[in-house]
Amino acid sequence: MTTSLEKIFKMATANSMWPFGFGLACCAMEMIAMISSARYDVARFGSEVVRATPRQSDLMIVSGRVAHKMAEPIRQLYEQMLEPKYVMAMGACSSTGGMFSNYSILQGVDKIVPVDVYVPGCPPRPEAVVEGLMVLQERIKSGIPSASINQETQS
Amino acid sequence: MQVNSPTWGEPDNGAGDRLGDEFGAGVIIRRVEHRGELTLDIPVDRLLDVCGFLRDHEGYDLLSDVTAVDYLGYQGEVAGYWGGGSDGRDINHYSHSGKAAVPEAAGPKRFAVSTTLCKVMTVTDGNHRRLRIRVWLDDNESISTLISVYPSADFHEREAFDLMGITFEGHPNLRRILMPDDWGGHPQRKDYPIGGEPVQFSDEV
Amino acid sequence: MAVTEPRIWPTQKVLQPTPSELYPSSDNPDLLEINLGPNHPSTHGVLRVVTTLDGEIVVGLKCEVGYVHTGIEKNIEQKTYWKAIPYVPRMDYLSFFSGETAFCMATEKALELEVPRRAEWIRVLFQELARLHSHLVFLGTGSVDLGGIALLFYCFRARDEVLDLFEMVCGARMHPRYCQVGGVADDLPKGFEAICRKFIPFMRNQLDQYDELIGANPIWLGRTKGVGVLSPEFAMQMGLTGPNLRASGVPYDLRSANGGYGAYRELDYTPVVEQGGDVHARFRVRIEEMRASVDLIEKVLDGMPGGPIISDDRKVVLPPRHELHTSMESLIHHFKLVTEGFTVPAGEVYAPIESARGEFGFHLIADGGPKPWRVRLRSPSLVLLQSLAALCEGVYLADLIAILASIDPVLGDVDR
Repeated sequence: MTTSLEKIFKMATANSMWPFGFGLACCAMEMIAMISSARYDVARFGSEVVRATPRQSDLMIVSGRVAHKMAEPIRQLYEQMLEPKYVMAMGACSSTGGMFSNYSILQGVDKIVPVDVYVPGCPPRPEAVVEGLMVLQERIKSGIPSASINQETQS
Repeated sequence: MQVNSPTWGEPDNGAGDRLGDEFGAGVIIRRVEHRGELTLDIPVDRLLDVCGFLRDHEGYDLLSDVTAVDYLGYQGEVAGYWGGGSDGRDINHYSHSGKAAVPEAAGPKRFAVSTTLCKVMTVTDGNHRRLRIRVWLDDNESISTLISVYPSADFHEREAFDLMGITFEGHPNLRRILMPDDWGGHPQRKDYPIGGEPVQFSDEV
Repeated sequence: MAVTEPRIWPTQKVLQPTPSELYPSSDNPDLLEINLGPNHPSTHGVLRVVTTLDGEIVVGLKCEVGYVHTGIEKNIEQKTYWKAIPYVPRMDYLSFFSGETAFCMATEKALELEVPRRAEWIRVLFQELARLHSHLVFLGTGSVDLGGIALLFYCFRARDEVLDLFEMVCGARMHPRYCQVGGVADDLPKGFEAICRKFIPFMRNQLDQYDELIGANPIWLGRTKGVGVLSPEFAMQMGLTGPNLRASGVPYDLRSANGGYGAYRELDYTPVVEQGGDVHARFRVRIEEMRASVDLIEKVLDGMPGGPIISDDRKVVLPPRHELHTSMESLIHHFKLVTEGFTVPAGEVYAPIESARGEFGFHLIADGGPKPWRVRLRSPSLVLLQSLAALCEGVYLADLIAILASIDPVLGDVDR
């Protein structure tokens, strides 16, 4: 009984990931296209609602390059999200720093938040981001816990 | 030759002459005309007077940009190139292959702050003009702010301070704009490292 | 043309002591300082606006930028001119092709390199598509800011059609890296013209739909008319150019000023001007500019000349691949260009173009070597944000959002 209940919970979590609309730079445009364009409609995956506040969302899509000045707000926003929470690093800049290997860009957002899915591209096509979302859904359904489980949250 | 930016217009040597009449011959240290653009080098302490004159009497009503450049190491060894003479690209000129063409010194001091001005509303269409006013300064020298003449210099000057370390005297709000407030150093200077991370396994065989 | 009375503009004074920050003048202890933080739903990017409110009225305002500062200018100094081209569209990421064109034009000006006619016409075509892209995103996100979410879906649907055209020509939806020093990277593929011609009536139909949605909507008009009035003299003092200036009645557009640049010289473009100076006029200017862009695209397709798409100066441009098999010289040129890059004679140039936001140009300081010494972008959005404080004096918080949406800054452009 417990396992099938867990399975239902996992299916529910996977099929209703509410993204946190967190657009930083160019990748944000493709993220909005994914959310609001009829072609790449992400609502059919359950991400119907894009919340502006982290307290009501499950998935933080870090879309764009992360400057050192922005690192603190990102960490704060991550900590305001409620468990279970997932992070997708969209694009090359948030995965590894991208083409900007310099004093100002954090070389990968996984230095400050634990990332579940990395989507490469500069910017990745909306279909690629949707595939990232599907990979995340498969991970959840197969029982892999979110990466936030390894984090000791402060506060 | 194609003119790729017609809003420069003809080099405004007339304005340079009238500046000399108004402020004396020493106000223009050098005139440089390169690719149809006129740059006037003026002393640091005459900047406000010159810009005020250009705005009120010559009709340069738009401040386009305030750019700061660091010329540290400008005449160092440049990677050797071929196919051109020492003064640029001349494809028929036989070159001494592999020898660097060291540029002549750009100016007397380390930093150059150039202000690009434009005539927009004071002229009819077809007569828009641009002019570049440049001052040279060293590391410990400061320059007066242009806010009293052109208020749109505000953020440009803050950026020049933040990224190049040039102090603008009289600026009411001279603090960092692009870097975090507690950042040390001025990143766009030539002696500031580019930063970033070394790529993994770079040195391994 | 109707004769209109000369408009009497409200006097706008430059703020003291700092032109770009508004300080509350009263000592009312009930003033509330809130943060429109770096993360907020209107996607102008990561802009932080620290506002002081008296009830709902804005009495103090400060813009904090730098949350997406990428150090692109310093990165470019480490790369050769070719390798620098992918960096520049990522600054103003909405009208990305304008960035590439501006950089290539600055380099060509420094090199005194002639660009073939067909390449100039192709560049104009894609600059107008990039302008359409930028204005569509502006309109969509601007209407979301004002509360009318429906327009977002319409605009992003049209945006996909625009990006399809970019994808046809070079493979990437955004940031195509299609502009090259000397021309463009590749010719228009077969079938491009047919698809582009089908796009033109589609886009015109879309623009009519947008007009129907918001043109006479009383809520839209009530929220945008009379709000955020910008007089032309004040705009000149604060350095504004582009659609914001044209919405205040000044017909200054770099595509037509002194004849225009590139292929605009042959296309006879008339700037789109509105007289209101308020948020409504700024929205109308951009919608009409979209119509003008579609007309320009049609003109370009009708008059597209044939010929080479890139300069044949082998010291700057790669030779065609088939020549490498037969010509030793071509092989050496190719080798030197790929390994070392071409060199640009020392000197300083500045070649501005008209992007969707205003005057957009690169100061390029070359030192005779293969890498630029200094590249600086004259960013129109940095200048726009300076005037936000003055425009928002004494308005409601909701009007602040409307004004910010209407002046259309892009934070990648501000922070570079």
